[in-house]
Amino acid sequence: MALVPLSYNLRSLRVRKSSTLLTIISVGATVAIFAGVLSLQQGFETLFSDSGREDVSVFLRPGAVSEGESGIPPAKCEIIKKSLPEVKVVDGMPLASAESFLAVRRRKLDGGETNVPIRGVEQMTFTIREGEVTLTEGRAFAPGSDEVIVGEKLVGRIQGCEMGETIWLNTVPFKVVGVFSHDGPFASEIWCDIRRMSDALERPWYSRVVAVLNSEADFEALKERMSEHKEIPAKVMDEKTYYEEQTRALSGVLRGLGSFLAVIMGMAAAFTATNTMLAALSSRSHEIGILLSVGFRPTAIFLSFLFEAVLLGLAGGLVGVLVAFLINGAETGTTNFRTFTEIAFAFRVTPLVLSQAVFFSLLLGLLGGAWPAWRASRMKPIEALRRT
Amino acid sequence: MVPFKLIWRNLLRHKLRVLLTAGSLTVAFFLLCVLQALVVSLDQGVKNASKKRLVVQSAVSLFVNLPASYQGKIETIEGVEESMKMTWFGGYYREPANMFAQFAIDADRMERIYSSVELVEGSWEEFKSSRMSCLVGKETAKKYGWSVGDRVPIVGMIYPRLDGSEWQFDIAGIYDASQEASIDDLTMYFHWEYLDEAMEAGAAGGADGIGVYSVLLSDGYSQAGVGALIDGLFENGPQRVQSTPEGEFNAQFVSMVGNVPFFVGTIGMGVLIAILLATLNTMLMSGREQTRDVGVLKALGFDGSAAFWLLLTQSLLLCGVGAGTGILLALGVEGPLQALLGSNFPGLRISSDVLAPAVLLAVAVALFAGLAPALRARRLTVIEALREEA
Repeated sequence: MALVPLSYNLRSLRVRKSSTLLTIISVGATVAIFAGVLSLQQGFETLFSDSGREDVSVFLRPGAVSEGESGIPPAKCEIIKKSLPEVKVVDGMPLASAESFLAVRRRKLDGGETNVPIRGVEQMTFTIREGEVTLTEGRAFAPGSDEVIVGEKLVGRIQGCEMGETIWLNTVPFKVVGVFSHDGPFASEIWCDIRRMSDALERPWYSRVVAVLNSEADFEALKERMSEHKEIPAKVMDEKTYYEEQTRALSGVLRGLGSFLAVIMGMAAAFTATNTMLAALSSRSHEIGILLSVGFRPTAIFLSFLFEAVLLGLAGGLVGVLVAFLINGAETGTTNFRTFTEIAFAFRVTPLVLSQAVFFSLLLGLLGGAWPAWRASRMKPIEALRRT
Repeated sequence: MVPFKLIWRNLLRHKLRVLLTAGSLTVAFFLLCVLQALVVSLDQGVKNASKKRLVVQSAVSLFVNLPASYQGKIETIEGVEESMKMTWFGGYYREPANMFAQFAIDADRMERIYSSVELVEGSWEEFKSSRMSCLVGKETAKKYGWSVGDRVPIVGMIYPRLDGSEWQFDIAGIYDASQEASIDDLTMYFHWEYLDEAMEAGAAGGADGIGVYSVLLSDGYSQAGVGALIDGLFENGPQRVQSTPEGEFNAQFVSMVGNVPFFVGTIGMGVLIAILLATLNTMLMSGREQTRDVGVLKALGFDGSAAFWLLLTQSLLLCGVGAGTGILLALGVEGPLQALLGSNFPGLRISSDVLAPAVLLAVAVALFAGLAPALRARRLTVIEALREEA
């Protein structure tokens, strides 16, 4: 079967410039919104999932779903750190560290307040996080001192987070002596000495213990044993799972929002594409008559019109993806609703976003072109030629 | 002026196209209404908050409690009428998925401080009379099928009972807070003493102290003035406090979600651009097809303004029907929408704050799309118009 040459479609799109352009932009706006919401979700999810380590275990109070509400007395933290055979030991020291976590109220530089996580850590934390957390400016806080280091995403966004500035915790001033980077949520946190934090805030308990496990340790057995432990009961999960639990709700909301918008806006866009193709059809019935009478099969006509619609859709998709790229990397903030703290993250136009956006625009073209293409293929040559 | 019937016939000349365009307008305006309703819902707790109440919280963190002894000190300040303890309990009913808000409060004070809260079942007296009593918002009561007299078990995540059992509460009243912007109909309020006694007796764990104090001001005192006095009182510790007007306190929870107005604005903008261009496309096509009709009209003696209105009215009709259907659809799903999103967006309604901008936008789209073809129709001479190929 002979197909109608593709150049025919390209030329006819060009002949009806304004209509083509309006449709492309209209589809483009739809695809851009769809891609935007998806890249928001991707940025949020990768921030957490990429930084979670499977060899790091997190110990929380039984029943707690996040460190924000967890609480373990310091004495019990010590037992967890030192008594578990699964914990990896380096130079006679277990690779385990207690951490204290609190969402503190801070003023944003551009106005308003937000909850910033402050994390009290032990020296061992830096050993565990070697290679993950790196100082980009200044130095680490001296153990036992009233000093803090701040995550780089806080600098320029939160008051008091420049080098040399002072952060007040209740009535105690802490000095900022360093800035650190991290590819995950730590970059939105303030870190200080765990004991000084407890004293300043009069919080006689810590939030969690993190520990690196031996490679041969039986994680499931540890989890089981700790959940029923008499002295030191704890909920144990690996860090990757912990982060997934933190993001699941918001990720789900964003995915739901994306699909909802895609369906609603997609309907409108498909209607628009149909309109444009119908107009193309009525102004070209003469041409269709000629094509039919020189021997092209109705199927070829159908495919030709469908192809033109898909081309329209893809062009719109391209516009949409380009618009989405404008926001790629843009920083925004949202709240981890498990701990009520603000986390900064960036929109990410990932290959997944791109492929879904392109597929979506393809679908819009197909949906919009199907009916007009079918109508075109059903025309009788004589009638088509007779119509002016 | 041309007869209305002519306008209508011209509009329906391409039935399918008009239907599709109206359909696009319908879904777009449905979406715009729903998005706007979400923003309005988030805003109302901020906008309609009481000017007579302050919230006193820890200056350090929302998650740090204040000493119970602060209440007496706060009430010595001039301008403070009365105060009420409010501690976030953080519990769920049977399953963790059934999370809803519970607060431990001063049971004998709530009626005066939140005076516009109404009890639709039960009474304040019953609520005050027993330590285990609680009040439940009407939406939550409906959701779980609770009524006055029921005993409900709640698992405390922040205040776990040490023997692993659930907390038990007796429902003494069901409230309706539609007149009270700072309270939704989803919450449970119970006696702070009940919680405190269990902790004193060593039966429950959790942090001591009070989450926040809700402070009612005497007539004639400002939120800022009294707030500064309260903050000053605890300047030197042991816990510094921050007094915020109730509206601001509510606002901090709204801003947590991220910049919702910005996101919704961006999405709305995208929807609007798409629909604007689609409608313009349709009207341009219609305008082109009706060129000869315009020529005939003018030859018959109708003037340019008749031709102008012929096309503009079509655009107005198209948008009126399309957008109108979308708006009606939004009104129609108000109920299911509340059921679906009510727990995150209390007071979600397609109110006049949603409808008015939607109607304005519909008119704007109609003018934008109709003006170009209408102006062209006015300008065309009879000869030009009749010469045009159909």
